[in-house]
Parts: sequence; structure tokens; C-alpha cells
Amino acid sequence: MEFIKDALNRLCSMMTVSGYEKKSKNDISDLASPIFDEISEDSFGNITLVKRSCKANAKRLMIDAHFDTVGMMVTDIHEGGFLSVINIGGLDTRILPSAEVSIYGKERIYGIVSSVPPHLKKDKKSSVPKIEELYIDTGYSKEKLEELVRIGDPVVIEGGYTELLNGFVAAKYLDDKACLCGALDAVRRMDKERLNYDIYVTVSAQEETGKCGASLCAYSIKPDFAIITDVNFGAVDKDNEYETVKCGEGAAVDVSALADRKLTRGVIKYLKEKNVSHQRICEPSYTYTNNDLVSVTGLGIKTLLLSVPLRSMHTPVETLCLKDIKSLADIIIELAYTDLEAL
Amino acid sequence: MKELLKKLSEAFGPSGYEDGVRTIIKEYIGNDLPQSCELMEDRAGNLYFHCKNEDKPRLMINAHMDEVGFMVTGITDTGYLKFGCVGGMNPIVLGAKRVVSERGIKGVTVAKPIHLLTPEEKEKAPTVDGMCIDIGAASKEDAEKYTDIGDYFVFDSGYVEYGDGFIKCKALDDRHGCAIMCKLIDAIKAGACTDFDLWFAFTCKEEISYSSARCASEFIKPDYALVIESKAVQDTYGVEDERKVAILGDGAIISFMDNSTVYDRGVVDHLISICNENSIPYQLNKYISGGNDSSAIQKSIYGVRVGLISAPSRYIHSQANVVKYSDVEAMYEIAQRLITGPNSIVKE
Repeated sequence: MEFIKDALNRLCSMMTVSGYEKKSKNDISDLASPIFDEISEDSFGNITLVKRSCKANAKRLMIDAHFDTVGMMVTDIHEGGFLSVINIGGLDTRILPSAEVSIYGKERIYGIVSSVPPHLKKDKKSSVPKIEELYIDTGYSKEKLEELVRIGDPVVIEGGYTELLNGFVAAKYLDDKACLCGALDAVRRMDKERLNYDIYVTVSAQEETGKCGASLCAYSIKPDFAIITDVNFGAVDKDNEYETVKCGEGAAVDVSALADRKLTRGVIKYLKEKNVSHQRICEPSYTYTNNDLVSVTGLGIKTLLLSVPLRSMHTPVETLCLKDIKSLADIIIELAYTDLEAL
Repeated sequence: MKELLKKLSEAFGPSGYEDGVRTIIKEYIGNDLPQSCELMEDRAGNLYFHCKNEDKPRLMINAHMDEVGFMVTGITDTGYLKFGCVGGMNPIVLGAKRVVSERGIKGVTVAKPIHLLTPEEKEKAPTVDGMCIDIGAASKEDAEKYTDIGDYFVFDSGYVEYGDGFIKCKALDDRHGCAIMCKLIDAIKAGACTDFDLWFAFTCKEEISYSSARCASEFIKPDYALVIESKAVQDTYGVEDERKVAILGDGAIISFMDNSTVYDRGVVDHLISICNENSIPYQLNKYISGGNDSSAIQKSIYGVRVGLISAPSRYIHSQANVVKYSDVEAMYEIAQRLITGPNSIVKE
């Protein structure tokens, strides 16, 4: 668990807004190089980490976790040091007013998203502000700001790494760094002798803006199987139990028309036999993860989708239970030792 | 003053539970006081520093210690905390924020995630009823080990200096007023002379409108009062000039009127002349909004001549309350000149 805690904290502090992942590639390399045999990157910003088995001509198992996050981008610089922004990926504007942000200009600049206090609200009814109506307060003059920031610079909603009760953690951008952390922990704990596959962990870019990165990785790796890992909706109080998974009860196997049916059913049966704890969730058609595009890459790839329950998704207080990351890693290890074809 | 401002603003002190702030102020002022000075408390929770000058006009300087916060109103079967607001807040600033309880338990506010909302729900702003606090509890029984109904939470949001001289923290409203009063008391302790029977009152429960400033005024029976406060302004981009109220960085706000008080014209004129004579930056509020302790003080005993100086503040009653330090310095200057100046404030 110490590795998971430390790695997760490091991953969450990396700036990887979709399209700007390359800013953190060295940090990923530093974290991954003690665990993997080979590290490579492509022009798109994807990083591929390879762990070889002892078998000659081993088959290839791809394990994907995206490391990009939702964020914002500067679109205009105004009088009084205020910035206009637009969202990158699906951002929940309801949580933006009074949020603290970092603007990655020439240097990292602190900012606050403007909000209206109750004293000055025009009407009693509160509506959801559109992102065009929000401004980021930097405290600089327009002239100074123009020296530091350019239109197009990325903006990150800030939030620390807060430990809650029972091994729960609230942090910014656990989506999908939680799964990347699980994949790293799995490979770290794998017994090379028992590996049935060469392992390709793809740290993929731009999932939040079109799910493209992982598909590009899959095209060049041509894996025999791919395990896509992403976060899923953790139930909050009495949220619809059929649309959500429960934090603290382990990683989930997702059943979907877009994940390989035989592989998914085989894995569920196998995990039951082996007594590896897991949950199940059904996403009948789209999964809205890298799974959807990877499954139809090249001549088609057999994919399995695993997910970690996450509460408050796409906010700076995304919340999960560390146990579920370990659970994801346990499942990945079990599957890497197995002949998936035979399931 | 910044170090003290940080310490006071980060302290835990929602309305009705100002103990932490009071303790910091008491420790800061200390026991080593000049003969003529005294530190005392009353039953309403107010803390007083009195600089005795019998038979002189009585002047009370006031700032409130409390901040807006939350109170746990229920615990769900699944271990989430339902809450109500202590003080007025726009629910739009409450989503996905870090909070911390009186027992040091950390939590985050949660609403239904946007992906699970119906299109109609997406158009609606979050409501306090629809939110809860997630502390990571496994069940109601588990949560009850760490918290209970009635527990207070406040924003978990620290002190940051940013831009050209701006400060952000929770609770700057009105801890900067407390910090200014502490520094004025420092000056008195260091020998600054006053021609008033001078009282400083650190008050409670301003944020919920039944301010203990009323009790302070009953106790002191001042001739004059100066309230040191935050004033909500909206000087952000895109706001019509007439709705901005005031501008951060343009100096202390001297108010002639707000939603709860018409200030004593004699006191207002005196404050303006202090600024003019000493080249202290000030501005008049250009929009009528808000209210504060002045109302309770003005309408107590036989009526008190009350004046207000306030720091123009952005995003008041949110986790990211903002003031500009130069405005706070200007307020200190005004108050300092007032207490050390002539005691004939109002020329009849």
C-alpha cells in the first residue's frame, strides 16, 4: 500500500491536461523506470512501458490507463487581470465558482474562478453558470499578465491530496491516475517467471478529448489482448445502484457490448474460482472509455474493461478507496499469469 | 500583520464556535499589559480590550471573530453527512470543496456527478439539500465514531498571496478586522496616546445577523463606534461599473449607507477628513448592499454614532475570500489616526 500511496500522490501532482501530457513525460519515466524493461514515447504523447516475460516470442498483453485529465484553456486576457477560459474535456461547470486554479503560462500562476456572493446576487434563483460567464482572477494587471500568459495556455483546477477515513483519499484527477497507479503496482509485483505475456502498459494521451491515444498505441503494439482500465462512478449515498459501483468493495469488471464477450465472461468465472474479489457493472452499449475505440483498432482487438470506483468524478475532490487500486492490481496480476485464450 | 492575518484566517471559528479565534487573540495580546489597560470577556463570547481614560468620550472599535460554516444536520444510512449553512452562502460555491470539522475530520462536499444527471437537472444549480459531506465513512455507525449531529465544519482553505499584493483565504471576513485591531492594541501597549476612553470589541455571530455586537454595545455604552469589516464587491471583468460596489486596491471603503445602516454623517465626514489630511487611499461604496455589526450597535442603548471602514473583498462567503493587502494597510492607518486623534469627532 505504501507504493500505491506514494505513486498516486506523485501522479496527481503531475500536470497532464489533455493535449499537454508531454509536460510530464519525464516524471512518468522517473516513476516507471525502476519497474519496466523498456520505455518509449510516440509523437502523440503516449508513453509505452514494457515488461518482458521469460518466454521467447511471448504473446502481448496491453494494459491501458490514460494519464490525461480534464482542464481548461485560456481564450482571452482582460483588463484587471482576468482570463476567459474554455473547457478541455467534460468539465462540470457547477463546481467552478470560487475554485482555485493554476495557469501554466511562462510560469505557474495562481488564480481563482470568479463567483458572486449572496450579498450581490441579482435574483434569488441560482442557475448554473456557463463557462463563458466565468473569469479567472489572477491579481495581475492586464499588461503584466500578457507577459506571463498566452491564449491557449492550459489551466488546471487545483486541489491537494487529502486523506479521509478508512483509506479513502480525495484528490484532483484520480481519473485515471488511479488506474495507472494500479497498473504500475501490478507490474511491480509481477513474478517474471510466471508471466504468460509480455506486458505493455500504455500511458495514453487524450482520452478526455476523444479517446484517441490508446487506439494509436494498440495499432502499433498489436496486442493479443488488451485490458483497458478506467474509473467508474462510485455510488454516493443512494445514487442509482445499477449505474454505480461501490467504493471499498474492489475493482469492477465491466460488461459491455464493446468489450469482448467471451473474454469478459471467462474472466468473471475465473476470478470467482480463484476467489479474487471484484464487482461487476453493466454498460450495455458505450463505455465512454478507451475500450470503445481500441476494440475496433486494426483487425479488432479483444478487450476487457476493468474499473476503479470513484466518487465526485471530474472535480478537484475525486474520491476513492486505496484498497480498490490494490484490488485492480491483484486482478491484473492474476490475468497476466493466465492463458486468457483458454478462459 | 500578514503573519497574524494568516494565523487568524486559518483558525477554526464559525458563528457560535469562535473559541479558537478568541484564544489566538488572547494569546497575542498577552498578560503583560500597561496599568491602564484590561482584557476581559462577557457571557455572549465577546472579547474586550479596554484602555481606560475616564470622563473622556467613549469610542468602541469593533470587528467580528466568526466566519461562515456548516453544521451537520443528519447522517445517512450510508455514512454521508447532511448539512446546513451557518451564515449566508450562494450554493453555487459549495460544490466539490474541501471542509474540516471541529474535531479535525476532513471531508469533501459532493453532489450527484454531472454524468448521472438528467438534462433538466443539468440546468439547475446545486442546492444545499442535494449535497452532502463525504468523510470516507463506511456506514452511519462508522461515521458516528468521528462526528455527530450539530458538529461544525468550515472550508479547508489556506492562506495564499497571489498576483500584485492580493491575499486569498477562507474567513478573511472578518479576521483581517481582528488583525487590524490586534495591531492597534500593539500600538497602545507600546505607548500610543489616546484621548478617548477606548474599547476594542471582538464580537461573535455577525454572520447570522443576531450579532453579539449588540451585547458589546450594551456593556460599553459607547459614544462612538467604528466597525472594521469586509465588504462584498464584484469588481470582476464584465460587471457593469455601477454594480461593482468598489474596487480592490483603491483603498478602504468608507460607507455612508448599506442595507442595514445609515451611518452617522459626522463620523463619516471625520473619517474622510482623516484620509484627506493624511493622504490615505479611500473610496465610497457606489452600490447599496450588505450589512454588518453597525446595525446592531447603532440601534442599541440610546443610539450610537457609528462609522464603518471596510476592505473591498471578492468572493466573500466562499472558500476563496480575497482582499488586497494595501487596502488593509489603509484601514489600519485610518483607525490608528482616529484613536490617536482629537476626541471631538462630531462638530455640532
